Amino acid sequence: MDVYYFTEMPYAEFPESEAEKFPSMRLTFPNTYFDPRLASELFRRYLDEYQYAEEVGFDGLMINEHHNTPSCMDVEVNITGGILARITKRANILILGNLLPTTDNPVRLAEEIAMVDVISGGRLISGVVRGIGVESWATNTNPVYNRERFEECHDLLIKTWTTPGPFRWEGKHFHFRVVNPWMVPIQKPHPPIWVPGTGSPETVEWAARRRYTYAAFLTPLEVAEDLFKLYHKHAEEVGYTPGPEHFAFMICCHVNDTDDKAQEEGRHFLWRMGHPLRGPQAYFAPPGYVSRIAALMTSRRRPKPLNQLSYQELQEANHLIVGSPETVIKKLRHIKERLGIGALLLEAQAGQMSHQTTMRSIELLGREVIPALKEL
Amino acid sequence: MADGYTDTFVEVAETNLRLLRGGQGEPLLILHGAGGNRGWLRYAQSLSRRFQVYIPDHPGFGKSDQPEWIASVPDLACFYLWALEDLGLSRVRVMGLSMGGWLAAEMAVLCPQLFERLVLVGAAGVKPTQGEITDIFLLSPAELTAKMFHDPKQAPEYEQLYGAQPTPEEQDLRTRNNEMAARITWKPYMHDPRLPSLLRRLRMPTLIVWGREDAIVPVNCAEIYHQNIRGSQLVIMEQCGHVPPIEKPQQFVNIVSEFL
Repeated sequence: MDVYYFTEMPYAEFPESEAEKFPSMRLTFPNTYFDPRLASELFRRYLDEYQYAEEVGFDGLMINEHHNTPSCMDVEVNITGGILARITKRANILILGNLLPTTDNPVRLAEEIAMVDVISGGRLISGVVRGIGVESWATNTNPVYNRERFEECHDLLIKTWTTPGPFRWEGKHFHFRVVNPWMVPIQKPHPPIWVPGTGSPETVEWAARRRYTYAAFLTPLEVAEDLFKLYHKHAEEVGYTPGPEHFAFMICCHVNDTDDKAQEEGRHFLWRMGHPLRGPQAYFAPPGYVSRIAALMTSRRRPKPLNQLSYQELQEANHLIVGSPETVIKKLRHIKERLGIGALLLEAQAGQMSHQTTMRSIELLGREVIPALKEL
Repeated sequence: MADGYTDTFVEVAETNLRLLRGGQGEPLLILHGAGGNRGWLRYAQSLSRRFQVYIPDHPGFGKSDQPEWIASVPDLACFYLWALEDLGLSRVRVMGLSMGGWLAAEMAVLCPQLFERLVLVGAAGVKPTQGEITDIFLLSPAELTAKMFHDPKQAPEYEQLYGAQPTPEEQDLRTRNNEMAARITWKPYMHDPRLPSLLRRLRMPTLIVWGREDAIVPVNCAEIYHQNIRGSQLVIMEQCGHVPPIEKPQQFVNIVSEFL
């Protein structure tokens, strides 16, 4: 099992009480709270942490993208992907992922991703995502077409990487006279594709039919099991039996020298579990963004939203693993064995967790936890 | 024929369309807004004393089919021109409410000879020069309802329309209406940049009715319609919000009847 380091690169440099003055910390929280000079320091620190994660033994580095939110400063994963490609040497670079439906130029996107793959010498994993509902607002992309645009953008990316140019594309949402980018990926036929999900059955089926790795994000273990079973079913339908490499699981994690210290510092994750998930329903579910079936399944699967769970409940539900190396090893082993995953994605920095604390957690994860997880 | 109207499906423009129809006289087509067809309300009943009133669920809304090709309000206008032909209707009076007003204006500029008279009520479709058209998709249903009325107490059908929690079936229809409305009005939001220029082609008698306190489509849009449609009449209803036919049905019917 490969272990990945991940941070959303938050900007938590304002009092939480400020965020509470607004309907949400996403979309409409005023950007006057943003200080670019502070952000510059934060980027330096987050990138240092990624570098260190590789150094101490993480197999991969994961990055993601959001818009109009202090919970995630990464607004262009291909920029950070390009930086990581240059400042690291060995680790996989997992972009999870590029927002396909909100892009208007899939060919440009194909070029950017290919460039990251080329700069990294073929270490890129190219995740693709539909984006949360807020991204439809932030980019003003019609949410009704979210899934259609996701699928067409994906098809065009793959064709751009695998079909010798020039060719022409006349689709429903995208139209190109001459597709013939000079920049194509090192990895053949193309970099691996991963897809995250929290419950949409359509996404599981879509990934399974294409043999893409499906990453369950912050779901209860039993839900991840259900989703993986569904993946198996669709895989069998198209004639293959999936292995661990087809499954990944993302959770939050903090390790410290003792359980007590870890419990104290792990509270920084409450910022991440709280504010970014609060807001009017319309922000998260614009018209047509969620299919009626998916909405039903999601409500069945996670009876209580993450931002209504206590610190204790978050840990009991395995959304957040906190403790000394010994405690964390035990819990992560349980998850690994129960889910049969090929990759564990650890979000190991959040909110105002300091650089020093984050570095210690990364160090303990790399030097003690990861080696123990690789035994057996 | 309960309460003087029928609720049936008609096959028009290769689409199964739900249609409320009642009354006798010249045809009057009423086009509903983004929230969907509110049914056969008082104002429709009153108008049906003089006209044969047609109130369809737009394609993709309510119980009507959704043809794949309809992706914009001008598309919807093309659909209705075809539908009117299939219904054998010509020299039609058309009245559009909110998004339906936008639709009526698009139909009128596409095929002016088909329409006898045009009534625009709190119509979307043109970009205000002052203020903005409220983003209805960002509002919760309760917030939207609150914004639609100046004073709900003066709307006799308010309780009947908004008093009870929606049933699961009603909720499902609401979701469907919202999705179709987003499909056709998302960007540019609730307006067609070409429309003011095209309106200048119109010569048909046109009545523009607006609530002074309209908090969804600014009264400024009424003025833009009025300036661009030659000879149009503008009536602003005082102490009234976005939906005059529901908030002040009697006064609304008096104003419209006189014009029609």
